Amino acid sequence: MTWIKKLKTSLKAYLFLAPFLAVFSAMVIYPIGSGVQLSMYGQRGARMWYIGWENYQRILSDSLFWNSFKVPLFLLLVQVPLMLILAVIISFMFETRKNGGALYRFIYYLPYTIPGIVSGLVWSYIFSDSMSPLRPILDAIGYGSLLTRENVPGILLVMILWQFTGYTAFIMYSSLIAIPREYAEAAQLDGAAHWQIALRIKLPLLKDPLITLFIFNAIGAMQIFNEPWMLRDLVVLPTNYTPTMYIYNSAFAQGRFTYAAAMGIILAVLTCLVSLYVLRTASKLILDRHS
Amino acid sequence: MNSRSKSYRLISIILVGLAAYFIFPFYWLTIGTTKSVSQLFQRSLLPGVPNHLVENVTRVFSYQNGVFLNWMGNSLLYATVGAFTGVLIASLAGYAFRRYDFFGKRFLFMLILAFAMVPAFATVLPLFMLFRDLNILDTRIAILLPSFVNVFGVYMMVAYWNQIPDEVFDAAQIDGANELLIYWKIGLPNILPGAITLFLLAFVGAWNNFFLPLVVLNSRARMPLILGITTITDPQGFPVYNLTLTASFFTILPLLIIFISLQRYFKPQMYVR
Repeated sequence: MTWIKKLKTSLKAYLFLAPFLAVFSAMVIYPIGSGVQLSMYGQRGARMWYIGWENYQRILSDSLFWNSFKVPLFLLLVQVPLMLILAVIISFMFETRKNGGALYRFIYYLPYTIPGIVSGLVWSYIFSDSMSPLRPILDAIGYGSLLTRENVPGILLVMILWQFTGYTAFIMYSSLIAIPREYAEAAQLDGAAHWQIALRIKLPLLKDPLITLFIFNAIGAMQIFNEPWMLRDLVVLPTNYTPTMYIYNSAFAQGRFTYAAAMGIILAVLTCLVSLYVLRTASKLILDRHS
Repeated sequence: MNSRSKSYRLISIILVGLAAYFIFPFYWLTIGTTKSVSQLFQRSLLPGVPNHLVENVTRVFSYQNGVFLNWMGNSLLYATVGAFTGVLIASLAGYAFRRYDFFGKRFLFMLILAFAMVPAFATVLPLFMLFRDLNILDTRIAILLPSFVNVFGVYMMVAYWNQIPDEVFDAAQIDGANELLIYWKIGLPNILPGAITLFLLAFVGAWNNFFLPLVVLNSRARMPLILGITTITDPQGFPVYNLTLTASFFTILPLLIIFISLQRYFKPQMYVR
């Protein structure tokens, strides 16, 4: 009669789980379900009618939607790799200091504590024509306005690198100091130079955290909203500048809720696909520790 | 000079240069609070002369009959209540995963993890419709309710609970303590450091949450700081740069204080931003 016993423990377990399951189903599962349902409807004003997959078909050929991925793609191909490379280099530099450069690590980490809205606001002022401290230099070389639409990806690059590089370097550094000292010592005895140890022995051991960081940053790039949202005050950006901006604007500026819901679902599915790898490792790590 | 100390120096120069990049916006924001608009337009890298700090602060706090104080109170409420409830609920759920072998355990854990990756942008829109039907759009409840779900918290809590050896629980059970008592008296004290870290992370997350308030709130009196500061304009609707900067400064000040004073709880770890 072990299953009766298991039933009893299950009852206890679900009592502890109850508060979480309640808010989780009401605030996450139900909205996703109703989002999927919503996405199956056509809409004009308050009137809604069932149309099946038509919204999705329209999205597939909506060039405004697919063009909104240009910025995330740029971040994914330029900002993320650049940041990871910089972070690895910085973490190696931390390692050459006493205490792992505790003061540097502290300073580099600070921008991470700043909300994207404030970082977007401050940087957009720093790059604005009227307030930029760079202006005298730009005037001297005859460069026009910095805050133009063509420059926005570059500005986002500066902003996002500012915010996340230090944090990423901090994580890389934590992984670096977790590497057993004997590895480096053995290589040193064999006559390997400092940079060789870093490149040949330590770098390959950073693979796992790098992959995880890459995935989280890919998700972050796909969902970018706050930073370009703040830039909008000083430079005109199209409503579909990023996928999330397009979703927001479709819903709340144009009132196309059901269409926006369908785009939200597509974005959610893309995100989940990207994060499958992390999910698998995470569940293995936690659940297989005991039981 | 040998090549070793040469490269040490080179690295020092690079590290200091990068530090300047990371510090500069903080510096610029701080001196920005001391300037009038016309002083901002002079683009100097020094604090404003004469210093307008007191005037800016007074104007921020008296802006629209002191709505800024409302924003501060709201941010504090949303972040404290949201983070505390979320972590408490997550610790209960984590306890269940640690202690019991129950029906649907693996499935539930995978489900929770899978939904951890669903972006807010996919749920906020249906939530907006739900809150509209429930007639709680533009209320504080609408901001608090979603913040009670801390999926990352559950994940971390399971890890924290896993660190407590079975013997601790078994000993308590033999003494005849009931489960809730074991959770409360024996469990919680053991995971407190982890719980504090989670609380702080959730606090910062809620403090910085912009998208949800943007969608569900209309009344300025209910906005958190992070949304409120983006609405500061003069009566004609034009931006007032010095006020926005000063208000931004006060928005990040609590974050910086928390981070600097409670540094040991902010061990960098990977989680979704």
